[in-house]
Amino acid sequence: MGKQLFRYSEANKEKFLESDNITFNDGSTVSPEEIWHYLTEEAPAKYPSAFEVNLYQGNRGSRDETLPTSLKTRYLGLTFSARMEKAKDNGKSIAFIQGGQAVDPYTAADTIALRPGLVNQWNNGLEYGNDINKENLRRKKSKEKAFHDMSFEACQTGGYEHVQAGDLRIDVIAPYTVLRCSDISYGVEAHRHGPNKNVKLLNVDYPLRFQADKPWAIEYFAKNLRRLVNTLDEVTGRKTSENDLLKAIKLHNTGRRLGTELAELWWSADVPPTNSDDRASMVSLGNLEVHGDVQASLSVLKEAKKFIAERVKNGVKGHAVADNPKRLFILGSCVGINGSRSEDAGAIVVGRDDQWSHCSSLVEEVGDPFYNLAKATLEYPYEQSIEKRAQWTIEQIKKSRADGVIFIHNWGCNTQAAISRPIVDIIKRETGIPTYIHERDLHGLRDEQEQNRVNAFVEML
Amino acid sequence: MSINGNYFAGVDVGSLAAKSVILKDGEIFATGLVPSGVNSVESGLNALNLALESAGLKQEDLTYIVGTGYGRVSAPYANKAVTEITCHAKGANYLHPTVRTIIDMGGQDCKAIRIDQDGAVVDFAMNDKCAAGTGRFLEVMAGVFKVELKDLGAIALSATDTVPMSSTCTVFAESETISLVARGEKPENILNGIHHSIANRIAGLFSRVGIESDVFFSGGVAKNSGMKSAIEQALKVTIVKPEIDPQLIGALGAAVIARNFSKKEGLWAA
Repeated sequence: MGKQLFRYSEANKEKFLESDNITFNDGSTVSPEEIWHYLTEEAPAKYPSAFEVNLYQGNRGSRDETLPTSLKTRYLGLTFSARMEKAKDNGKSIAFIQGGQAVDPYTAADTIALRPGLVNQWNNGLEYGNDINKENLRRKKSKEKAFHDMSFEACQTGGYEHVQAGDLRIDVIAPYTVLRCSDISYGVEAHRHGPNKNVKLLNVDYPLRFQADKPWAIEYFAKNLRRLVNTLDEVTGRKTSENDLLKAIKLHNTGRRLGTELAELWWSADVPPTNSDDRASMVSLGNLEVHGDVQASLSVLKEAKKFIAERVKNGVKGHAVADNPKRLFILGSCVGINGSRSEDAGAIVVGRDDQWSHCSSLVEEVGDPFYNLAKATLEYPYEQSIEKRAQWTIEQIKKSRADGVIFIHNWGCNTQAAISRPIVDIIKRETGIPTYIHERDLHGLRDEQEQNRVNAFVEML
Repeated sequence: MSINGNYFAGVDVGSLAAKSVILKDGEIFATGLVPSGVNSVESGLNALNLALESAGLKQEDLTYIVGTGYGRVSAPYANKAVTEITCHAKGANYLHPTVRTIIDMGGQDCKAIRIDQDGAVVDFAMNDKCAAGTGRFLEVMAGVFKVELKDLGAIALSATDTVPMSSTCTVFAESETISLVARGEKPENILNGIHHSIANRIAGLFSRVGIESDVFFSGGVAKNSGMKSAIEQALKVTIVKPEIDPQLIGALGAAVIARNFSKKEGLWAA
C-alpha cells in the first residue's frame, strides 16, 4: 500500500504565483509557476519521502502553505542535487568544506562550498522514489560505510565516504582545521589513505583558538586564506584577485545583514511568525551558502524578510505553532532538535548559536580583504573562550526571549562535549533559565530517545 | 469523550514491562503489569486490560487515559502522551508529597529527577545510551551467575566484602565478572561490587541535578534491596519506602495526570 503524501493546496496557488522569481548564480531564473509545478507534480514523484505524512520519522518539512518563501526554500532543498549535477556539467568547481567558516573566499574563487550535510544532501537526491523507510536505510548504509572507512569515533563522517566512493564530482577538499571541530582529522586522514586520494586536499590552518587579538595570528591566517584561494584557482584555472574577494565580502555582508535583520524581526514578534523549521531555513539564508547558490539564497532571503515583516505587523502565527509555546534556544555544532515534533510538544525553536555566530559577524570592507576576513573569522563569538562564548550566547538568549536552553552535540564531537557543561552552567547562573545537555546518538534509537528527553524538558518548562 | 465516570488510567509501556494503574475517586483502584513484547500497542493494551479485568471495568468506563514510557507514541487507546519523567514525578508526589528527589531505574535507562512540592519537574538527568546502570545490566549479571533476577539484591546484601568493578560497560563488565570468578572471588562479593558500581554511576547523575530530601526510588530495579542499599550508601540518603510496587509509579503518575487533564478539559469536575 502506498504511503500517504502531503499535497500543497490549490487554494494558496494564486497568492504564491504573485511572488517573485528566484534568480541563480548563472543568471537563470525560475518562476513561481515553475516552482509550483515542481512542488506539486515532479517532487512528490521523485522524492516521496519528503512528502510522506509521518509524524514520527524524518523531517516533515514545512507545511506553512501561505508563506511563499517557505515553499521556495523547500524547492531549493529538493532541487539541490539536480542543481549540483547541472553545475558540474557546466564546469563549475565544487569544494567540500568543514569547520564553521564563512564561504566568502570560495565565492570569490567561483567555487561552490559544501559542508558535510550538503554533500550528503547532494548524494541523497541522486536516487528517486524512496519512502522514508527506504531513505533512512540508504542513509544508514552510507553511514556504516563511513564508519568502516574512517572511524566510528568520528561524529561527522558525512561526505568523505562519497568522495572516496566517487559518488560525487567534488574537485577539492578544503576544510578549516582546528576550528571548533575535533573530527576533521578523521576525514582528512581517511582521505589521505583512501582509494580516491587524488582529489585535491588543502587544510586551511586556523591558529589555535583565542588568538583574535594577536596581529601575528591574523597575518598567519590571512596567508592561509591566500593559499586557499590559490588552491581553488588551480582547480578552476582562473585568477582570483583581491578585488574579487572584496566583492564577495560585500555580497556576503549583504546576506549577513539581511539574515540578522530577519532574525531580529522574528524575535520582535509577540507570537512566533513562523514555525521552527521555517525560521531556521530563512535565517540561515543569511550566510548565502545553504543551497549551494549565493544569488538564489539572496533573492529568497530578500523576499522572506518582506513576508515576515507583514506577518509580524499583522500578528500572524506560524503554521503548527502552539499557543504560548515554550521558546527554546539551541546550542552546539552541526545538529539541532526535531522542530515539528518539538512543536507538537508545545515548544518552538527561537534560535541557534551555530552558523548564527558568523551570520552576525560582518567583515570590514576597507583595507586588505584577506586580512579583514581573517580578523573577522578569528573573532567569531562561537569560537571564543568558554566565558566569552557564553556571554555572547546569553545576549542572543535574551534577545530571543528563550525560556529554556538545550545544548546538543553529536557523540564523538570532543570539542563541544568538553565545553557544553561549563557553558550551560554560566548561562544558568546568569539568567536562571533551565538548561539541558544532550549527546546525540549515532542513528539507531536517536529519534525516539532524543525526543523523549526534549519533550520532558519542554514539559518541565 | 463524554463524562462517563470517575475512572482515570495511566499506561506505562517500558522496554521490559508494561504497567497500568486505574484511579477511582483519587484512589488507586486497580493495577496491571505484564512483560513487554515487540508490539508496544499490544503490550500497553494487555497491561490496561489486566487492570480493567481486575476492576470489573471496560475501557469505555474510563474517562481519560494517559500513555507514557517508550511505547507512548504508539498508544492509540490513550487520550494523551506524556514523558515518563513527568509521570514518575507526579506518581512519587501522589504517594509522598514531601519527596523532592527521584531515582528511577528501568529496563533501559536510569534517571535522576528533582521535583517541587507540586510534583513538577525542576531538573533531570538521564544516562544517555549505555545499558550499564539499568535493569538490563542486572539481567545480564543474573544470567552470568545463573540466579533469579529477583534474588540478586539479597545475594549482594549477604556479601562480606565488596569487589570493586572497574567496568562501566555491560559487555566488558560481563567478561570482567567471569575473570573475577576465575580468580576465586566469592559471587556475593562480586555482586555486591556490581551493585555499588551501578550506584556510583547514578551518583554521577546527581552531581548534575543535586539531591534534596525526601528521596524516592522508582522503577523495576527499585525492587532490588541490594540496589536500594547501595544507592543509600553512595548518595548518603535514606530512601522513602513506597506503599505500592515501585515499578507502577510511572503508570500511577500517568493516571494522576489523566485526572488533571480531564478536569482541565472539562470532562470531569471533582
